[in-house]
Amino acid sequence: MRYLTVIKQCSLYFLVVVVVLCGCRSGSDQGRHKKVAVIVSTLNNPWFVVLAQTAAEQAKSLGYETKIFDSQNNTAIEADNFENAISAGYNAILFNPTDADGSVSNVLEAKSAGIPVFCMDREVNSVDAATSQILSDNYSGCVAIGKYFVEKLNKQGKYVEILGLVGDNNTWNRSKGFHSVVDFFPGLTMVAQQSADFDRNKAMEVMESILQAHPDINAVFCGNDAMASGAYQALVASGKANDIKVFGFDGAQDVIESIQNKKIMATGMQFPKVMAKTAAIYADEYFKGKRDFPKKMPVAVELVTQENVNDYTGYGKKE
Amino acid sequence: MGKKVIKYIIVAFVVLLVGYNSVYFKKLDEVKAEQTAKTFNAAAYAQNFWDKKLTPGLSNAIAIDKLIPMLNTNPAQAFDSYSHALGIGNLRYFLIQGKGTVAAIDGDDVTVSIAGLPEQKVKIATEYIFGNAARDATGLININDFNNTMDFNNVSAEINAIIRSKVLPQLKHAKVGNSISFTGAIELNKEHVNLSQIEAVPVAVNIQP
Repeated sequence: MRYLTVIKQCSLYFLVVVVVLCGCRSGSDQGRHKKVAVIVSTLNNPWFVVLAQTAAEQAKSLGYETKIFDSQNNTAIEADNFENAISAGYNAILFNPTDADGSVSNVLEAKSAGIPVFCMDREVNSVDAATSQILSDNYSGCVAIGKYFVEKLNKQGKYVEILGLVGDNNTWNRSKGFHSVVDFFPGLTMVAQQSADFDRNKAMEVMESILQAHPDINAVFCGNDAMASGAYQALVASGKANDIKVFGFDGAQDVIESIQNKKIMATGMQFPKVMAKTAAIYADEYFKGKRDFPKKMPVAVELVTQENVNDYTGYGKKE
Repeated sequence: MGKKVIKYIIVAFVVLLVGYNSVYFKKLDEVKAEQTAKTFNAAAYAQNFWDKKLTPGLSNAIAIDKLIPMLNTNPAQAFDSYSHALGIGNLRYFLIQGKGTVAAIDGDDVTVSIAGLPEQKVKIATEYIFGNAARDATGLININDFNNTMDFNNVSAEINAIIRSKVLPQLKHAKVGNSISFTGAIELNKEHVNLSQIEAVPVAVNIQP
């Protein structure tokens, strides 16, 4: 009889321990069971590879299952990626859009499915679609470039602006920031403004044709570093590389080296890793109940010049 | 026949009812007025910020002769205690105040030797009044007040326009050797603090011969 009581008591304790352990396990697994999708415009460009991989690694380090979806710069593939992510039960999407307008419907689809979307680097043209958009402060970065540009040209001269994709918001935010400074100085005259679609080869062609019409320019401002490299190549080919100052934007490794070698004057350093990590941290905070995210969170762009280039490396600061 | 007529009458009534409720007219000037009301007015926001937040709070600016030693000895504490920024990243802004002597004047700035810190110079900008320093240095603007990036970019531009019209004219009277007290906003990179080239965007100045 006594043995029976002891067995009964042991069984009861065992049952309690099992229940407690199960409870603990299900609690700790709550975070681990959530899944975070990273949908990126393209993996065919190292800049976006860094963005996507950093976002996925950060989400993983916070305890979430992650997967990277490549939209291949195609809004139709992006729509498929969203459908797949939604049907596969992903709980948040860290998103780098292919198109500011064309991607809005995808974000809204996720929103209607109750899935928060955090945009990285590129924005969608809707205030309410994404939970938050973490974007480079392109405008302010180009204000800083504009100021350095004016100083290096001693407030006078003729210059050319090579724009990125004309349908991209970043193109115009950069251009507006630059002109918000440079247009204050009447001694500086823009003799040509042309798009080269953020493409190095196109920028080289554009620069070659502009040089034929305006061989006497003093400087060229390019909306990204690939175009700055292309423009510089055209200047080398025409024998004017030492006379015309080139300014870029991005912080690409080859342009940082060109600044060190005094081939390119300056660039604006963006921080893809900061944007990606912030997006993953926001998703984590969302899961923990936070809801008051800023609709748009700017990430500071730093001016990299002849004077401070040794502090920087491609896409960031030296560790 | 009678039933058909009734049917047609009912259908016509329904079509008219739906049509009436689907189309409505508004005066064009009313619609335009609504759109204007929804558009963010950066100039008005900047003026309100200048009058009600920035200038009444100037006494809260950190004294430069306290900030510089702290930046030298404990930069992390200095940034945590006194810097602000609307976005994220290494660029942070301080609202500073100081007294000193005008040491040099050129086309772009007025150089001030800071009282009590003989080695320290601060350049007060007179030409390049650009960027977010004056907007962000107080920490009194909330990013959630803005729906899009261009709105808060425009606020910076409008605050800088106020500085050009209200503050810069006073600096035109500065002469080397004058005593000067000032309050201004500075930008520092918290990863690479460079105290040899501090440039302040002036918010208030007082020059004594």
